[in-house]
Amino acid sequence: MSLCGGRGGGSGDQDGGEGGEGSEGSGGSGGGSSSPAPTGPAGLLCQRLRGASLMARRRPELLCGVVAVGCALLLALKFTCSRAKDVIIPAKPPVNFFSSRSPVLDLFQGQLDYAEYIRRDSEVVLLFFYAPWCGQSIAAKGEIEQVANRLADQVLFVAINCWWNQGKCRKQKHFFYFPVIYLYHRSFGPIEYKGPLRAVYIEKFVRQVMMPLLYIPSRSELLDFLSNYEPGVLGYFEFSGSPQPPGYLTFFTSALHSLKKDYLGTLRFGVITNKHLAKLVSLVHSGSVYLHRHFNTSLVFPREVMNYTAENIYKWALENREMLVQWLRPHGGKSLLLNNELKKGPALFLFIPFNPLAESHPLLDEITEVALEYNNCNKSQVVEQLLQHLRHVDSSTLDSLVSNPPIQLAESSSITESPCCNTVVLPQWHSISRTHNVCELCINQSTGIKPSKVNVPQCSFFEIAAALDSFYLKERTFYQVTSDSIECSNFLSFYSPFSYYTACCRTMNRGLMSFTNSEEDIFQSPPIALSSHEKKCEVDNPTSVPHIEESLPLFPDVDINSTSITGLSCRTNKTLNLYLLDSNLFWLYAERLGASSSTQVKEFAAIVDVKEESHYILDPTQALVKPTLESFIQNFSVLYSPLKRHLIGSDTVHFPSQHIISEVTTDTFWEVVLRKQDVLLLYYARWCGFCASLNHVFIQLARLLPPDKFTVARIDIGQNDLPWEFMVDHLPTILFFPGNRKDLSVKFPEDSAITLPNLLKFILRYSDPISTGGSSADPQTKERLQNEAVLQKGHIAHLEKEIHKLRAEITTLHQAQAQVESQLSDARRDKHRLQKQKQTLEKQHSVLQLHSEQLEALYEQKTRELEEMAAKLQELADASENLLTENALLKILVATMEGKLENEESEKSNTLRETLSHETEIQSRDNTKLATNMSSPMASEQNNENRTD
Amino acid sequence: MLGLVVCGGSRHAGAARRAGDPGSAAEAVAGLCRRRREHLCPMPRCSLYSLCLLLCVLLPLYNNASEPEGPAPDPAHYSFSLTLIDALDTLLILGNVTEFQRVVDVLQESVDFDIDVNASVFETNIRVVGGLLSAHLLSKKAGVEVEAGWPCSGPLLRMAEEAARKLLPAFQTPTGMPYGTVNLMHGVNPGETPVTCTAGIGTFIVEFATLSSLTGDPVFEDVARRALKGLWKSRSDIGLVGNHIDVVTGKWVAQDAGIGAGVDSYFEYLVKGAILLQDKELMSMFLEYNKAIRNYTRFDDWYLWVQMYKGTVSMPVFQSLEAYWPGLQSLIGDIDNAMRTFLNYYTVWKQFGGLPEFYNIPQGYTVEKREGYPLRPELIESAMYLYQATGDPTLLELGRDAVESIEKISKVDCGFATIKDLRDHKLDNRMESFFLAETVKYLYLLFDPNNFIHNNGSTFDAVITPYGECILGAGGYVFNTEAHPIDPAALHCCRKQKEEQWEVEDLMREFYSLKRSRKSTFRKTAAGPGLWETPTAGKDASALENQKVMNIKKDSRRGVPLLRCPSQPFTSKLALLGQVFLDSP
Repeated sequence: MSLCGGRGGGSGDQDGGEGGEGSEGSGGSGGGSSSPAPTGPAGLLCQRLRGASLMARRRPELLCGVVAVGCALLLALKFTCSRAKDVIIPAKPPVNFFSSRSPVLDLFQGQLDYAEYIRRDSEVVLLFFYAPWCGQSIAAKGEIEQVANRLADQVLFVAINCWWNQGKCRKQKHFFYFPVIYLYHRSFGPIEYKGPLRAVYIEKFVRQVMMPLLYIPSRSELLDFLSNYEPGVLGYFEFSGSPQPPGYLTFFTSALHSLKKDYLGTLRFGVITNKHLAKLVSLVHSGSVYLHRHFNTSLVFPREVMNYTAENIYKWALENREMLVQWLRPHGGKSLLLNNELKKGPALFLFIPFNPLAESHPLLDEITEVALEYNNCNKSQVVEQLLQHLRHVDSSTLDSLVSNPPIQLAESSSITESPCCNTVVLPQWHSISRTHNVCELCINQSTGIKPSKVNVPQCSFFEIAAALDSFYLKERTFYQVTSDSIECSNFLSFYSPFSYYTACCRTMNRGLMSFTNSEEDIFQSPPIALSSHEKKCEVDNPTSVPHIEESLPLFPDVDINSTSITGLSCRTNKTLNLYLLDSNLFWLYAERLGASSSTQVKEFAAIVDVKEESHYILDPTQALVKPTLESFIQNFSVLYSPLKRHLIGSDTVHFPSQHIISEVTTDTFWEVVLRKQDVLLLYYARWCGFCASLNHVFIQLARLLPPDKFTVARIDIGQNDLPWEFMVDHLPTILFFPGNRKDLSVKFPEDSAITLPNLLKFILRYSDPISTGGSSADPQTKERLQNEAVLQKGHIAHLEKEIHKLRAEITTLHQAQAQVESQLSDARRDKHRLQKQKQTLEKQHSVLQLHSEQLEALYEQKTRELEEMAAKLQELADASENLLTENALLKILVATMEGKLENEESEKSNTLRETLSHETEIQSRDNTKLATNMSSPMASEQNNENRTD
Repeated sequence: MLGLVVCGGSRHAGAARRAGDPGSAAEAVAGLCRRRREHLCPMPRCSLYSLCLLLCVLLPLYNNASEPEGPAPDPAHYSFSLTLIDALDTLLILGNVTEFQRVVDVLQESVDFDIDVNASVFETNIRVVGGLLSAHLLSKKAGVEVEAGWPCSGPLLRMAEEAARKLLPAFQTPTGMPYGTVNLMHGVNPGETPVTCTAGIGTFIVEFATLSSLTGDPVFEDVARRALKGLWKSRSDIGLVGNHIDVVTGKWVAQDAGIGAGVDSYFEYLVKGAILLQDKELMSMFLEYNKAIRNYTRFDDWYLWVQMYKGTVSMPVFQSLEAYWPGLQSLIGDIDNAMRTFLNYYTVWKQFGGLPEFYNIPQGYTVEKREGYPLRPELIESAMYLYQATGDPTLLELGRDAVESIEKISKVDCGFATIKDLRDHKLDNRMESFFLAETVKYLYLLFDPNNFIHNNGSTFDAVITPYGECILGAGGYVFNTEAHPIDPAALHCCRKQKEEQWEVEDLMREFYSLKRSRKSTFRKTAAGPGLWETPTAGKDASALENQKVMNIKKDSRRGVPLLRCPSQPFTSKLALLGQVFLDSP
């Protein structure tokens, strides 16, 4: 007990409970030897267990033992509690989902009936059905709270746990997903919200439910309404007579109805009460409904044909509406939205950051303008009017910033610049297998600050040199210019944030290149283009800078024939559909199309052409403004489009520490493949199981081959696009580019196994000896010798490496040998020991055998004796039987004699009887004597046997 | 007692989650991932926590009901070491090296397969043999002292071999297809039923081929291949296999064909075996099945159950076990189909917070008596593979949902309980072995893109063995059906190294000397195309075999390389966030 107390005290600092017990124990021992007996063993056991667990904590190697103890305990538990087999725990009862301070009323027990009850008191109610385990519900919780904080005074927010199976909600509703958001406008509902679970979007929708109709009091607001990119429905109602003119309620309901069907809220509903305003849209009778269309004739709801019901109005508007620009908002579930839209033809995706709650969207207005112009084929007056209005809106809202609307300026400006320009011929080395490029490089120092002072009559040599440097750094931009048209592009000067260079490049034939004097001819057209371009840029600057981020001092470039894109959609056979995507939600798509993931301004434009399997992007360094967009569309539409298929490459090139296989990306493809050495290129993808399991083969190959003469490279084709001619159908694919003839690339045959020997054979088959490079007729002996020396050196290096490896192998072999030897000696020792054991066992065996023989002999002897005894016994038994029969005879004799004598001698009878009894007594005594004689030897034999056992 | 002590400490308040994170979904999920990783291993003394989890497996008492391809109930101590082996490599993937080493020691001392236990051949193979093999191959990475012959020898490998040898008697049947159960001491019991499920026949090639390659004893691979051939011969005229077969007569007992319970890992192993062994024969088998499965069982990206001879729909249900299929498809490059199917399955998850064992597709609800969700890993496994392929945040969302479900629904004081009924989230008093071995592992790997398992070949280990130098750990790990990773390079190392080495050396000599000697012969070699191809066919050990298969299949697939993935279509760039694209007409 004292021991227990001591230990308990020792461990007291670890655990409060243990300390308490420990002091108790010591108290018990202090009380003397009269400690209570029954608590003793239990306390000791507990102490031991605790000790064990402590030991385990301190010395982990003992854990094994602890595990065994635990296992034993568990086994015991299993047997004792085997009745507890079907223990089923009910689900945890529901708890609060929203905090009690939240403006959202949380009915976490699913009291749907209560929700219905309180719903009657509010005009607009939002019901948020959630499941407490659902990640999406948890994520949406905060967003809902955010909305509730802003709208709590006008809208009732109720959250209902629709999962708990005891709750009313679960019993009445059957949802396939969570959360579900229902909105009610008085008795109308439910209107389900299916949009993005972001606070701004939800708030916008709630506000739309609160006010489904837009009241239009003035002409300007009417134009606002009509010029919007989304289709609008107008109703004309005269409120003068009755408080609620006939048909108004139906119109109102149809607006709610459209929200129910179309969660994007693309159909807008407006109300005109002014007769004069109504005339502008040719509405005369109160109660008439008008659907505005930009390009086709606008419609008035045909009351004679269709019943004037809310549903019909909505349907009619939906069927006849005209989509100018469409928002794409994938809901996250499985959907064919993009598939269906992209199948319609080439699509222009515009990614803009969109706040649905914002009052005005200047960028969106510009895009609307572009869209209107693009589709305005028959130059309709209405559209012109709306365009005018849009521009006007621009200037009025941005009054302080914008002096002139851009379009007008484009016509009026007549400032001609003579920028300092220089003709650059792209060097030959990066124009392999293509025609040569000639670029006109101009320096522009125009800035937003002093646009009028741009005046560069002559330029210093330094400036031209800097521009050239900068140009070569940027040359990749011009890398793929192959068409005949002239493509201009601006890029930032590294010397001043406000100046930029313009390069207009065009392609010429080799033949032309020989005429060095022909530059004048070649650039006969460019000067016009350049000048027009210049003036455009100049005047555009002040207008476009204010509402682009300041970090984008680059200016739009405009194609040469920047006539206008009005009605372009009808003039081209590559008509674009325009789509908007909110870059706050769907920037991922932009990234997949080539936008940067880390950019500050999330604006991006790309044209996706699924049929051509290509896409084109608007240079991300250019701001997304109207002129750039127009030129982008134009460039796409012209017959020989200057746009180049955009190739996406992974930018994070992480060269592994063991730099053996070069990781190729889209950007480095040419550089690696065109190295002046043999290149083996593996096409792979992360996800392809067949590729990954061959990694080791390529690593081995790369380690074998000399890195200075041979490149083993690979490209992740899942993340890096390549020009068509270098794309492959299957992965893994291996291409070999011989060092001296890059155009003769060879493919590793697909039906042969990718193994190291096969790859080596493949390389040997197609690689070209370095010395014969160029296959010159008379190889200079010196060079040849040098090459050979290099080769030999390589070989020697290789052999040295091999020797190194072999040495390492030998050491491991030695280790293995040592291991085997130790195992062998162990085995020998074991064998020896076993043999010894065997010998001793044999000895024991022989001793035992001897013993058993002796025993057998003894046994036989005893059996013999027994048999003898049995025979004797038999004799004795026979004898006793004889005696018994004699005895019986005698008895009969005596009886007969008695019978006789009874009658004859009655007087003398007494004496005679005495003598007779004496005789029988003697006989019986003889009998017993015999019996004792027989039993004594048997007993002795039994004793003997006991001893042998 | 120990379990309670340890678990008392491990209980911690679920990390308060701020869902109002204004960042993108991906950021939110990435943050979640970090927290999750901490959560899965919450304490500094994580070792005790993991042990606690192990002990918890036994605390919910062994229940022998319900598992569709289930094992015969084994005695508790067998099941204990089984779980220990099963969860071993999870420890390493979670980064707990010390605990891994300790468990390896415990196993070496305590595990004995010479016991009188009736064990399921299938389960023993995937858990014990597979677990030991992967632990063996990963032991160097975990810092365990390995012997000189590693990876071709080692104590864990010997244990795996011993365990596998105990299973060999089951393969002694006329058809070569194994019995379902075997007694570890006495072999097949006299009255043993000859009816085995398809998966129980075709789920050996990964472990057994690994074992044969590492040990050099071909018997394992041979029996596994023979079993596969047996099944291949038994397929119906329309190319489907049923659910259960009599291994003595070769007659189908259950004729439901599908991709789920009872069949699942057969298809999985055809693909994974083909990848692991670069085996065209296995792949051609799978592609044939795949064609039939698409033709007869696929409806709107669901896979139903059909009658194997007629192809008529017998059960319009989706089984939880079928959710591995998208992952398998993504391995062979069928990513768009995989994603579409995955999105279907995800809707079921969203409805219940888990996948019911059976889900009636037309009714959109669970099936009577099959409402449970024992925290199965299949859907998470698929999400992990697909996330590698697409990087789609939707897949991380599933991961988030799984973490939420596991924590909010199934977490109990000690461990994570099986969900008995998904309709009301009742819990059962048990935790399955695969929760630790698979669910936790795949969930962790989904959120940990930099785990060594995801190595894309940028790093590797060069190991000197007595047979030569081997490149190991270069990625491309093939998971067996119980999520035990096998390094394909190790197979190659122990199998081919010896024969290949000298050939490579000769070729290297030629590479260096050739420059001179070939000047004369170059023209000749250039003239004869395919000159180098002829020795290939002869040299390669499996080439002959392959050729045979190729001859059989010559008519159907000419020009389509078998061991290749198709490259992705253009639209795959935009196939994100639930968007799917139909094949262009």
